[in-house]
Amino acid sequence: MRMKLPIVAVGALALTAAAPAMAHHAFGGEFDSTRPVLLKGPIVKVEWVNPHTWIHMEVKKPDGGTEVWMIEGGSPNSLLRQGITKNSLPIGTEIVVDGYQARDHTLKRANGRNITYPDGRKLFFGSSGTGAPRDGADPTEKEPGR
Amino acid sequence: MRRRLLLVTILVGGLALAALSPAPIAGQGQAYSPPRLADGQPDLQGTYDLATLTPLERPNGMNAVLSREEVAKLEGAVAAVVALGARPSSGERAAPPKGGDGSRGAAGNVGGYNSFWLDPGSTFTMVNGEARTSIVVDPSDGRLPPLTPAARQRLGALLARPSAENDPGLDPTPGAYDDPERRPLGERCLLGFGSAAGPPALPNYFYNNLRKIVQTPDRIVILNEMVHDVRVIRMNAQHLPSHIRKWAGDSVGRWEGDTLVVDTTNFNADQIRYVVAVAPGRTLMMVESIGAEEQDRLSGPGKDLHVIERFTRVGEKALLYRFTIEDPGTWERPWTGEFTWPATDQPIYEYACHEANYALENILRGARQRDAEATKR
Amino acid sequence: MSHLAAKVASTLVAVAAGAMLALIAVPVVGQAPASVPRLATGRPDLNGVWQALNEANFDIQMHAARPAMALRAGPHGQVPVASVLALGAVGAVPPGVGVVEGDALPYLPDALKTKRENQANWLTRDPEIKCYLPGVPRATYMPYPFQIVHSESSLLIAYEYAGAVRDVFMKDPGPAPVDSWMGQSVGRWDGDTLVVDVTGFNDQTWFDRSGNFHSDALHVVERYTRTSRDVIAYEATIEDPKVFTRSWKMSMALYRRQESNAQLMDFKCVEFVEELMFGQWRKNPLSR
Repeated sequence: MRMKLPIVAVGALALTAAAPAMAHHAFGGEFDSTRPVLLKGPIVKVEWVNPHTWIHMEVKKPDGGTEVWMIEGGSPNSLLRQGITKNSLPIGTEIVVDGYQARDHTLKRANGRNITYPDGRKLFFGSSGTGAPRDGADPTEKEPGR
Repeated sequence: MRRRLLLVTILVGGLALAALSPAPIAGQGQAYSPPRLADGQPDLQGTYDLATLTPLERPNGMNAVLSREEVAKLEGAVAAVVALGARPSSGERAAPPKGGDGSRGAAGNVGGYNSFWLDPGSTFTMVNGEARTSIVVDPSDGRLPPLTPAARQRLGALLARPSAENDPGLDPTPGAYDDPERRPLGERCLLGFGSAAGPPALPNYFYNNLRKIVQTPDRIVILNEMVHDVRVIRMNAQHLPSHIRKWAGDSVGRWEGDTLVVDTTNFNADQIRYVVAVAPGRTLMMVESIGAEEQDRLSGPGKDLHVIERFTRVGEKALLYRFTIEDPGTWERPWTGEFTWPATDQPIYEYACHEANYALENILRGARQRDAEATKR
Repeated sequence: MSHLAAKVASTLVAVAAGAMLALIAVPVVGQAPASVPRLATGRPDLNGVWQALNEANFDIQMHAARPAMALRAGPHGQVPVASVLALGAVGAVPPGVGVVEGDALPYLPDALKTKRENQANWLTRDPEIKCYLPGVPRATYMPYPFQIVHSESSLLIAYEYAGAVRDVFMKDPGPAPVDSWMGQSVGRWDGDTLVVDVTGFNDQTWFDRSGNFHSDALHVVERYTRTSRDVIAYEATIEDPKVFTRSWKMSMALYRRQESNAQLMDFKCVEFVEELMFGQWRKNPLSR
C-alpha cells in the first residue's frame, strides 16, 4: 500500500480545512462570492455566542464617516478550552478582515475568512488538530458514501 | 472479603501495568477491571472528547490499521498543516478574489473562516492497541454497505448535490432555501451537525466533540455539547409507543456483564441519515429532515432506524464505544463502527444555538435577494 | 451499692440516656428525615423527575388575575391586544400568591422603568416567546418537568423546556470565561442541603412573563433540600447590584412526578417558532 501523505498547499487547503459543516453549502448560501471585502478598524463589540462568534468592527466609509460591520467567526467553545475569555478581545483592538459580504447586501455582514491583527498575525492560535484532507493528490480517489 | 481481594488485585495489577504504559490497558493480555459504583456496575462517568483523525469510512488504499511509523508520519503531517494555518498573513493583503476563492465544501467558495476556531482532533483512534483508519469495522472493508434502491431514489436529490470536488458554494437543489424547514437540522439549531447528538455519537471533524456521562442505577445520561442535548437512557425499561417520536430517538439500556448496551428506536420519521464527503477521504454522517411532502410520499424513512450502542470502560481514561446501525430502508444490511472515547479534563461549555442564530436569517435573506435579482433579469 | 442508690443511679442513667436520646432526636437544621433516600455517599438522593406547582412563570409576585399578558386600554379597563385576542381565556393570566419572600422586588429606579417597558412590550421582549433558554431560576418554575440526575460524583439538571441543561460542577473551576444563558453552576453540600452558586449569566433572560429581568451581574444562590420522598424545598437568593438595591429571595416546593413512566419528552420548541422568527423570509410567506 502506497502511503499517502497530505499535500501541503497553503491558502486553499488551510481554508478548506477551516470550514465547518453546519451543513454543507451553509457559507455559500450566506455570503456572496462576487462581493469580496477588506475591512480594517477597531473592534466595538464581541458576541461570544454559538453557533458563530460575531465580531463587530467600525470601518471608515469611502465618503467619510464610519459604519459598523458584523464579522462571522466560528464557535467560541474550542477557544474557551484554550483559555480565551470574553476579555481576550478588548474593545478598540485593531483588526484586519478579508472575506465576502452577506448575500443580502442591505446587511453589513461578512464572513471572517481571515481575521488578523494589522501586522498579519492571526487573531488566535487554535488547537493542534486540523481538518486537512487526508490526501488531495489522488484524482482517482473515489468519494465514499455515494 | 472477596471484593477487597478483587480491589487489591486491581490495584496491584493496575500499578504494574501503569509502569509499562499509560495507555488503556485492554488488549494487553490482562483483563481490565473497572472501578464500580455502589450498585456494582462499572463506572462509565466522565467527560470525553471524541475528536479524532480517524474518518468514518476507510480512505482508498489504506489498511485497516496503521503502523506506528505511519501514525507518526500522518499525525506529524497534519500537525504541520495546522502550523501552516497559524502562520501570519500579510497585514497589507488585498481583499480575496471576486468570484470566490475556490474553497470547496462548506467553505462555500468564500473561504469559511480561520482554522483557529477548529478543534478537529490530532490523533488516530486506538482500539485494542491498533491505530484505526476507519470507524466502520463491519463491513470489513471499512465502508458503509450499499444503499437500498429506495434510499437511492429518496436521497437522489441530496446525492446529486455537488460534491466537495466541484462545489460552487450554493446548493442547486430546487427549493433548498425556500423555507427554514428546508435547511439542515444543524443550520436550524435543532440538532448538532453531523451526528453530534446521535445516536450514534460520531466525531464531526470540526469542534465541540465533547460528551459527558452521568450514571445512576436507573438513569444514565449523556450530555452532548452540541446542541446542549441530553440523552436520557432509561435502564431496564420498555420503549415508548411507536407513535411517540423523538429527535434523538428513545433510548433504553441494560447491562451485559461490564458493558452498557443501549437500544434506540422511535426516531423522528422525517429524519434521514446519509453519509457525505466533506473532504477527500473524509466522510461525515449527516442527519437531516426531509420536507413534509416527501415524508408522506416516502413514509418516513427514519421510522425504522434502530441503533444499538455498547459502552465499555477499557482503561482509567478511556471507554470503548461500539455501535450497530439497522436501517433497512436506507442500507442493505446493518453496519457497525467502533472507536475509543478518551477522557478529557476540559469542561463542556454552553452551546446555545437558536438564541443567536443570525446565520439562518442571513441565509434566508440572501436567498430572497437572489430571487429578487433573478426576477429582475 | 445499696438498693436505693442503685435505683437512683439507674434513674439518673435513664434520665441522662433520655436526655441524650432527646438531643439526638432533635433534628439538626437541614437534616432530612428518614423517608429521604440517600446515595452511598450518605448525601440525600436528589434523583427524580420534579416540577414546580405554582404560577410564578406568569408573575413571581402575588398578583390578581388579569385579561392577558399583553394589554391595551379598553373603554372600561384593560383588554387583550389584538394579536392575542383570539386566545380568549387561554391567554388570560391566572392569579398567584407569589414566590418572593416579602413580595417586594427592590428595583433601582431606572431598572423599574425598564421592567415597565418590558411589560409594555412583552410580545417582542420576553425571551420565552422565542423559546430561548430560560435562565436560572426561571427554568426551575417553568410549568414543565425537569430531571435531576445525581450520582456520587456528578449532578446534572435536564429541563424539558427548550432542552435546557445545567451541569453542576462539584469543584469550582473559577470564573466563567464567557457569559451564558444558563450560567455556570457550582455545587456544594451544606449538611443535607445542596447549595448551587450560579454566576456568568448574560443579561438576556427574565424571571417571569411580567418583565422582571436582570443584568449580566446576576448572582443566584440556590438551595435544594429534599424534605420527604416527594418534595424538595427550593430557595433562590437573587443578587444583582445593577438592577436591585439589595438581594432578595424566592422559595417554593418542587414536587416529584408520581407517574410510573414519568420522563422528559421532547419540547425543544425551536421548530415551533420558525414561522414566527423566519416566516417573513420564506420564498412564499404566509399571511401574518
